[in-house]
Amino acid sequence: MGLLGAGTLLAAGGLRVYAGRPSHAHVAVVGGGFGGATAAKYLKILKPDLDVTLIEPNRRYYTCPFTNLYLGGLRDFESLGHDYRELQEDYGVRVVPDFAEDVDVDGRRLKLAEGSEIAWDRLILSPGIDFRWGALEGYDEAAAEKAPHAWKAGPQTHLLRRQLEEMEDGGTFVLVAPENPFRCPPGPYERVSLIAHYLKRNKPRSKVLLLDSKDNFSKQGLFMEGWEEHYGEMVEWVGLSNDGRVIRVDPDRLEVETEFGTIHRASVLNVVPPQKAGLIAHRAGVTDESGWVPVDPNTFQSRKAPGVYVIGDATEAAPMPKSGFVANNHGKVTAAAVVADLEERAVPKPTWANTCYSVIAPEWGITVANVYEVHDGELREVPGSGGVSPSGAPADFRRNEARYAEAWYAAISQDVWGTRPPG
Amino acid sequence: MESRVSAEVSFSVEAGLNMNNKNDKKQRLPTPVPESGPANPGRRRALRLLVAGLAGAALTGRTPGLANNRGSAAWERIEPARERLNGATPKDGAIKLDLPGVTQDGSAVPLTVEIDSPMSEDDFIEAVYLYAGGNPTPELLDVYLTPLVGRARFSTRIRLNKSQSVLALARTNRGEWLAGDREVRVTVSGCLSRDDTYDFDAVMRTRVRVPERLEPGQIGEVRTLIDHPMETGLREDGEGQPIPERIINEFRAEFNGKSVLKARLYRAISANPYLRFPIAPNGSGEATFHWTEDTGESVSESFRMETG
Amino acid sequence: MVVVPVLLWSGDASEPVDENAVGAERAEAVARTCAACHGTKGGFETDIPSLAGKPEAVLEAQLLAFKRDEMPGATVMPRLTRGYEDDELRAVARYFASLEAN
Ligand SMILES: Cc1cc2nc3c(=O)[nH]c(=O)nc-3n(C[C@H](O)[C@H](O)[C@H](O)COP(=O)(O)OP(=O)(O)OC[C@H]3O[C@@H](n4cnc5c(N)ncnc54)[C@H](O)[C@@H]3O)c2cc1C
Repeated sequence: MGLLGAGTLLAAGGLRVYAGRPSHAHVAVVGGGFGGATAAKYLKILKPDLDVTLIEPNRRYYTCPFTNLYLGGLRDFESLGHDYRELQEDYGVRVVPDFAEDVDVDGRRLKLAEGSEIAWDRLILSPGIDFRWGALEGYDEAAAEKAPHAWKAGPQTHLLRRQLEEMEDGGTFVLVAPENPFRCPPGPYERVSLIAHYLKRNKPRSKVLLLDSKDNFSKQGLFMEGWEEHYGEMVEWVGLSNDGRVIRVDPDRLEVETEFGTIHRASVLNVVPPQKAGLIAHRAGVTDESGWVPVDPNTFQSRKAPGVYVIGDATEAAPMPKSGFVANNHGKVTAAAVVADLEERAVPKPTWANTCYSVIAPEWGITVANVYEVHDGELREVPGSGGVSPSGAPADFRRNEARYAEAWYAAISQDVWGTRPPG
Repeated sequence: MESRVSAEVSFSVEAGLNMNNKNDKKQRLPTPVPESGPANPGRRRALRLLVAGLAGAALTGRTPGLANNRGSAAWERIEPARERLNGATPKDGAIKLDLPGVTQDGSAVPLTVEIDSPMSEDDFIEAVYLYAGGNPTPELLDVYLTPLVGRARFSTRIRLNKSQSVLALARTNRGEWLAGDREVRVTVSGCLSRDDTYDFDAVMRTRVRVPERLEPGQIGEVRTLIDHPMETGLREDGEGQPIPERIINEFRAEFNGKSVLKARLYRAISANPYLRFPIAPNGSGEATFHWTEDTGESVSESFRMETG
Repeated sequence: MVVVPVLLWSGDASEPVDENAVGAERAEAVARTCAACHGTKGGFETDIPSLAGKPEAVLEAQLLAFKRDEMPGATVMPRLTRGYEDDELRAVARYFASLEAN
């Protein structure tokens, strides 16, 4: 037992079981992204004698936020990576580099890919999203090697960047945006903005075409204002009613077909596919027919599996967007709810906030901000709060929001993972 | 699949208030999504329009047709649905309604209706009626089908001004009634807000996609869309004057002059009315589509379809 | 039986007891939403300022001024502070002021 460390048991047959110390409650957290890493850290802040285990296969997590700046040539990819040393060393979170494969809700066990198990008293899942491969005809995992999604940070992001670098001047970059709900509602629009920035500098005869399955999108007026200001005719957005919905992708020809039969050919094709909650949520049986996880709005405990809490992008938390900012807030509210539950206290009144920064060009940022509460058993925006940046604002206002975007990125990274330099 | 777009479409849904001066012909699109946010004067204006519009009507007045007996079946709670049934009791749960359980954009909620029916000459669904009891006016769409659709299934996009259940009633050619309903939660999301504008030059432009060639017995699919604001008549303009109702209120699809599908549209059909439905033509011929506005103005499109 | 008036001595007598006062737990819960931009416990300094250990009166005045739209050039703060009660903002100011500056 000593060999494997406190709380690790060797069960019959050599199966490794991670458990909490006797008489200490044990909370297992799946996923070391914005939601899960925050939950693990705040559980230890709120109740230092709790045993907290974080399961995350990657030793280094790369954020989706700011990958658009990387694609636009404004940020180094490595600056988007964070590891778990601070959570381990300063907060006492046990980090298990493994992939959670299955959940036994009744037996309160988690099965890991490498064969070991985790016994938990409470479980928090923050697995993010998975893609609904094939839901868009022609777009499966193999297609993503030719027409990347780059909607999870990593090899896909590099692939898209490489394709942009190799694209000829005068080519067309096409982004296909999905219906709601999906990860990061302003993400596709920020992406085309910063890719337009890159192309304007390096391949100024190129075009950027955004084919959208929606007629309205996040911060639409501000994006359009920004595109006109910075990129003129280069960026074109085609919404649903203008035949923007793509119904088929041909990854070999880099062509897409819209619902009324227009064929668009791309030089670089970026498809943001339809999405669902991460796999482990489905395995745990907590998703519904929408593919997302319905939760109790006060605690984010699953409506289907007691003791299992789900946070972040995987949840049905409308009107909160699927953002890293919100996932971080979920992590804190749910950590407090889990601690209250373990201590058999009343659940504290929850509050969440969100601020989505989008960078349209260097020194040109825009935001949407909101505060959320539970009212009559449902999530809602606090009346009178929130809103988007003013339209027609002066350049220094936009410059400030771009500066604050950078500051926000540094601060939320500190709040989620800490500030250790890579090592 | 053959595709034809009847005209270059240039209407603009961009939101920028001071973006350009193409704006003179634009009016705001009706949207039941409140756009709060005093940080932005344009949004404040949109909010005022809204309060005077769809949502406002529901807040200030009694919602017509919505009785208060929550425990009863959906069709019992909606007055025009009860009237339509005229004493008949529908077979509940016999219509499949495909709608998102939660939507953040009540201005265009995708809806698919599907009913199990052979759609043969002697056994078919003759009519489908859709209602949203929580809207200022519950009627959404009446659809009259014929065996020429092959399958009882169609899709459109509707406006829902708050969380509520959407009801479908259907009548078979033998006079039996079916019902089905589904709850939709509508949330207000500042994240998705926009100011809607509309280019009146584009109104009545159509898009149609029909199968150019089908095997005998094969069921093809038709998609149609017409540019139109579907002005509800429930809103005020910037000067506080009511904007009169102006909607597409009828759509007809015919094959060689015989009805395939006919629809009566109400003001809660989303801007740019969209209809998608099957077609099972009995030979080669011409498919014709007609849209009629409540002003009496109409537009038609015809397409050749080959079978065999 | 002797009734001991425990409650009389349990609090600081100089501080008036406000029935609606926002408790420490609520203050911390609200303050946690701030950490995404101001760092854990408000203690991370970037172009966005650290809040930990700042004078309570200054924090309170600023938060309320944001909420009333009296801070020229403000970006997201007016939109966010409008999501909280004045008392919550006061409690948050007190909480951040009580923390050690770094
Ligand atoms: C291009 C782009 C730009 C974005 N920009 C912003 C922005 O500017 N601001 C913002 O707030 N948000 C932004 N987002 C959204 C943000 O990335 C997500 O909302 C956020 O990552 C959600 O956090 P999460 O914890 O739910 O999931 P994630 O951060 O994806 O974390 C999930 C983690 O779980 C792990 N995991 C999954 N399954 C298992 C398992 N079975 N076992 C163990 N580990 C598992 C994964 O490896 C991953 O590390 C952006 C997204 C994109 C795509």
